[in-house]
Amino acid sequence: MALFRKENTAMIDRYSWWEIVAIYAGIAAFLFFMLSPFIEGFLVSLKPLAQLFSSPYTFWPENGSFDAYFTMWDSVPGFGRYIFNSFLISTVATVIVLLLVVPAAYAFARFNYQGMGLVLGGFLAISMFSGAVLLIPLFRLMRTLGLLNTYFAMIVPGVAFLIPSAIWLLRTYMKRIPLELNEAAYMDGASQFYTFRRVILPIASPGIIVVAITTFIGAYAQQFVFALSFNSKTEYMPLPVGLFAYFGRQEVIWNELMAASFVGITPALIIIFFLQRYLVGGLTAGAVK
Amino acid sequence: MGQLSLKRVVKTFGSIEVVKGVDLDVQEGEFVVFVGPSGCGKSTLLRMIAGLEHTSAGDILINGERVNDLPPVKRGIAMVFQSYALYPHMSVFENIAFPLRVEKAPEDVLKRKVQAAADILHLENRLQQKPGQLSGGQRQRVAIGRAIVREPKIFLFDEPLSNLDAALRADMRIELTRLHKQLGATMIYVTHDQIEAMTMADRIVVLNFGNIAQVGAPLELYHRPENLFVAGFIGNPRMNILPATGVKSGPEGVTVDCLGQRLTVPVAPPRTGIEGAALSLGIRPEHIHLGDGRDLRLNLTPTVVEQLGQHTIGYATVEGMEPTFCFVLPGSRPVHDDRPLDVNFRARDCHLFDADGQALPRRPGVEDSD
Ligand SMILES: Nc1ncnc2c1ncn2[C@@H]1O[C@H](COP(=O)(O)OP(=O)(O)O)[C@@H](O)[C@H]1O
Ligand SMILES: [Mg+2]
Repeated sequence: MALFRKENTAMIDRYSWWEIVAIYAGIAAFLFFMLSPFIEGFLVSLKPLAQLFSSPYTFWPENGSFDAYFTMWDSVPGFGRYIFNSFLISTVATVIVLLLVVPAAYAFARFNYQGMGLVLGGFLAISMFSGAVLLIPLFRLMRTLGLLNTYFAMIVPGVAFLIPSAIWLLRTYMKRIPLELNEAAYMDGASQFYTFRRVILPIASPGIIVVAITTFIGAYAQQFVFALSFNSKTEYMPLPVGLFAYFGRQEVIWNELMAASFVGITPALIIIFFLQRYLVGGLTAGAVK
Repeated sequence: MGQLSLKRVVKTFGSIEVVKGVDLDVQEGEFVVFVGPSGCGKSTLLRMIAGLEHTSAGDILINGERVNDLPPVKRGIAMVFQSYALYPHMSVFENIAFPLRVEKAPEDVLKRKVQAAADILHLENRLQQKPGQLSGGQRQRVAIGRAIVREPKIFLFDEPLSNLDAALRADMRIELTRLHKQLGATMIYVTHDQIEAMTMADRIVVLNFGNIAQVGAPLELYHRPENLFVAGFIGNPRMNILPATGVKSGPEGVTVDCLGQRLTVPVAPPRTGIEGAALSLGIRPEHIHLGDGRDLRLNLTPTVVEQLGQHTIGYATVEGMEPTFCFVLPGSRPVHDDRPLDVNFRARDCHLFDADGQALPRRPGVEDSD
């Protein structure tokens, strides 16, 4: 797209002024819908509680301050623990998913065997199941396995729901790695495992990181349901449950709730930014042709 | 040691036979080129020799040892892929060193061998770069370097130059020939490009639909094609094929009637009767001369004339001949399209093929006709 290019000489990249206006208007509309809840949420976290309940509602904070970011820790004393729990559950789930999915995706990408389409189709079907439908059988399963009221009550079903889409994503990525690379390594006497470790894994790493990010986010998103269903111990509860603690008996402490939301997702954001730095596009350039 | 024998080698994919019983002996140090149209089974045959494809039937022997069930590395073979198959995340050094890393060669040996390969291939200054930063020719050289360090008995190349532009291809042809001399190893080279085959090969194997059409030295194939397929495939532009009828055979050769004219081609007569036999007469475009005289004369009106300076190529329609008749004249000649002209050729430059497309053997000495 010419708009983002330094030099704009190709004729196909020329836009008339109204096209450029339309493009920017489109981007602006998109950003507005994407970001307005966050902006609103952030502004709420800066407002004094009194302003939030005053009428008429004002968009911009008066006497805005970051007080809520300090007082939130007193209103819900165990909030740090909730953040930690969420982070722990998501991290462990992501690690387990990666350990299982990376070799599985490679097998699905490279080896042909009978019934593979069926298995892959099955994965797709499973990933379309809403977790809520399965809560009751899962509850019985968790009880039988003795996992109720442990971290694993939230990790194990989470992993199960995250695996199918992760396999599909990574398999597609790995299929794009030229088969000749395997053949060349085989010609040179490398074992399947050596080739996997030294050739395939490094080349697939951008795909693996994408899967790690989506899995991590997915794990955050789904813990709430599992936590409410399979866990009753406060000390294991994840962030979304912690946020409910700001819903008081009489009133909701909106500014602290919003502040807590932003604080709560910070560790996840840090991880994602960290992973993103390793997302190097076009790593296969020069492999073939 | 790098002697290779194929004994009735067959490859089937499902019910389709792709390689149909190939027999071939390759001598140590020989540069053999497999050539043939796309889809004729060249790559499949090469991959069977490499050990990348299972051999459906027949035997592959290297230095007398049956290797059908040996993995590539135990066959002492290295292969250069058409697509180069370089590891994009590794430096040039690591790419070349890869086979040595696999066999856990000591670091000093590894360094020495990679350096030596890089010297041969003029890659000394590229060792720390990634394949993505190299040009096509350099990538090709890295792929060759990776093959060299293993010091294989036999090198296999699958259309290694087909991704390069014409000028680079010409350079790499010369470099590969030089490399072959320098290493003295057996090389088997697959291409669909007859120029590569003619210029590099000690011997050419022409493949047609999974069968060997002919094996021979480049000029042997050019002067004595054994069948219409080889006659049409070797030589550019293609040999002209004219319909002819057998008249008689004598000590001078076989006399035929072609385009209403009689000429006696110095070839051995067929075992079956010659009189009235439907034959094909082949004449290469470069053996056609301007003017009249000589053994067969044609009056043509070229529809297209290509002036290349080095030579002049003309295309004309000749009755009874399917593709257009082509002639190549040396230098730039005063030939214009849509203007009739007389051309002629000598009987001794002609080839004769029987109804099955098999050549009637030409008399000795036809090679040095000019
Ligand atoms: N793995 C395969 N499965 C089925 N058919 C194949 C396979 N590989 C090659 N073929 C077929 O075998 C024939 C010869 O292929 P190939 O050896 O690649 O030809 P060439 O290299 O001479 O162009 C082609 O018709 C191709 O479609
Ligand atoms: Mg091929």
